[in-house]
Amino acid sequence: MKKIAAFALATSLLLGVTACSSGDSTKTTVKDDTITLAVWGSSPAETKGLETTVKSFEKSTGKNVKIEVIQDNFQDALTARFAAKNAPDVFYMESFAAPKFIKSGVLADISNDVKNQDDFYQPLLNSFKDKEGKLYAVPKDYSTLALYVNTDLLEKAGYTMADVPSDWEGLLNFSKTLQGKLTKDQAAMVFDTSMARHMSSLIASGLDPVTAEGKADFTSSPKALDYLQSLIDGHKEGYLKNAKIDLGVDWAGAAFGTNKAVMMIEGNWVLSALKTDYPTVKYEALEAPTVNGNKETMTFTVGYAISKDSKHKKTATEFINYMTGDGQKQWSELSGTFPTRQSVADAMKLDEDKVLKAHIEGAKYGTVWSSGVNLPVISGAFDNQFLAALNGDKTVNDAMKAAEKEANDEIARQE
Amino acid sequence: MGNKRYLNFQGYSFMMPALLAILFFTIVPVVYAFFMMFYKVDILSGARTFIGLDNFRKIFEDPKFWASFTNTFRYVLVVVPIQTMIAMALAALLNSKINFSRGFLMIMFIPTLTSSSAMTLIFMWLFNNNGLMANVIEQLFGTKVEFLTNPSLVLTVIMAMNIFSTVPHFMVVFLSGLQDIPESLYEAASLDGANSFKKFLHVTVPQLMPITFYVITMGLVGCFQIFDQAFILSGGTGGPQNSTLTFSLYIYQLAFTSNDMGRATALAFVLGTIIFAVTYIVNKLLKADEVNG
Repeated sequence: MKKIAAFALATSLLLGVTACSSGDSTKTTVKDDTITLAVWGSSPAETKGLETTVKSFEKSTGKNVKIEVIQDNFQDALTARFAAKNAPDVFYMESFAAPKFIKSGVLADISNDVKNQDDFYQPLLNSFKDKEGKLYAVPKDYSTLALYVNTDLLEKAGYTMADVPSDWEGLLNFSKTLQGKLTKDQAAMVFDTSMARHMSSLIASGLDPVTAEGKADFTSSPKALDYLQSLIDGHKEGYLKNAKIDLGVDWAGAAFGTNKAVMMIEGNWVLSALKTDYPTVKYEALEAPTVNGNKETMTFTVGYAISKDSKHKKTATEFINYMTGDGQKQWSELSGTFPTRQSVADAMKLDEDKVLKAHIEGAKYGTVWSSGVNLPVISGAFDNQFLAALNGDKTVNDAMKAAEKEANDEIARQE
Repeated sequence: MGNKRYLNFQGYSFMMPALLAILFFTIVPVVYAFFMMFYKVDILSGARTFIGLDNFRKIFEDPKFWASFTNTFRYVLVVVPIQTMIAMALAALLNSKINFSRGFLMIMFIPTLTSSSAMTLIFMWLFNNNGLMANVIEQLFGTKVEFLTNPSLVLTVIMAMNIFSTVPHFMVVFLSGLQDIPESLYEAASLDGANSFKKFLHVTVPQLMPITFYVITMGLVGCFQIFDQAFILSGGTGGPQNSTLTFSLYIYQLAFTSNDMGRATALAFVLGTIIFAVTYIVNKLLKADEVNG
């Protein structure tokens, strides 16, 4: 009886082993010049832009690219693929998550493979470098935040674009008066509660939330606390509303598009939704407001990275060079994203468009959303505790102290 | 003897597909996790260093662990009794000869069929600060209740959601148990002068004990493992102020956000131990072995 059981177990193990090895052998038969590219699902315009640009690459080189779309939780899915030793050859890499992947040593060093690196906007390129200056991903596009104003609602309330202040304090006062002329389910301005949207404002208030040692710091600048307090006051009095919490819509763009918000500070990713989903909304865009007299905005960038264990490194390198070089103009034009090369930006004459200009200008002084390997922990603690301050459970000071401790304890545990 | 051996072989070969699935998708991962929890594991590169029981020290020092501990226990203690009682009462109601009971059954089963993510989104729409519930309460009582941003209420929303969606399933389980109770027991109780409430209490409830044990166990296991509702409601953060951080969500965060697979498996082991212990205690308290014969 026991023998039989052992035999059964052995057979099953054997079957399993052969199953695995046969799986491997089919994989190596994939043609040598085919690479896999993992991307997240995005707007129809971006999807079309990617497919077309990839086709141009295939045509000009004769190599093949297999696009894999990961619809949800891209970073987590990618992490799982690495854990399973089944990583795609080339994949999107957010600047925010890049330091973690660089530290783990799973990305290929492409310092010497990317052509004409001086042409890139340097802050974008720098967010994909490690401490020694080695490059691990190459930026494909970027977004910055700008202030969007719904001109129909603004005019209905009796104002013009000239009345919209360009500094944060003025904007808050303006929102306060504006809110008096709106209905209860409308917001003068929608705001976001996450640190990703406010890091540049904190820096403009004299606080870098990530210290030189990579620890969290939320409390050393009273001005930064005042800034956070201004968000809380605005939310309490109702002229700042959160799209999800207060208006019950998925995101700020939907609130803006359905005339529930007069103003929002959002990235250029809203443009395609405004064009296709809410074509009747009239709007203009201004640069993000100054904080304490300093120009500020957040810059978000995504790059192409190559897996260190990729078997097709040569093709992969060729591909990312094409996508961020010869193919970048095509990609940017089709997808509506901003090119990361200065030469392409000049050729596309983006700053002639009034809305885009607000974003492009921001790239000159924007803070890139990336700050070392501990940023996810630090911003996670901030997001968690800032909500406590927002609903009045804690004072801003207490909440930020708690966030600082929460983050630094966790950082110590991870070391 | 030879014949017996042949029969054994036949039996095992019939079971082989299931055994293989269990081996590769349950036993191997469990053993592997047992091994990983003594290491510091970088999930991306797979690099690991032996650190002994340090993962457990880190877990027990971590306020987030205790937050998830409190949340999960609060959740279990509220949800399991309520869902069991409501399911039993509804089943008894449907089992009595009321009109359209089939139709009721069908309508009431809809929440169970709805996917939990869709359900979560509907509840988020209902309970947001400008949503239906908040507005109704504001009009009736004049106070503004912020369900999704108030840390003491947001877990209650998830509890309500889970009760709403699991009760129909357990109700059907109870219903099938009810139909097995012999009519003669009720007749005997009637002869002894019991009213319908007493019949429910002294005939239905004890006769349903094996089913109740099943429902409670499944409820416990399900509640301890609550993940998707908390994940969607908080966008994966477990906020506000860790009030929706559950064990499973924290395990997920440790593995994928903190990149610390060792600590995640150690916490999974702690969760497994807790579920095992609680189920064992419930088993003893309900004397399920005796009831099941």
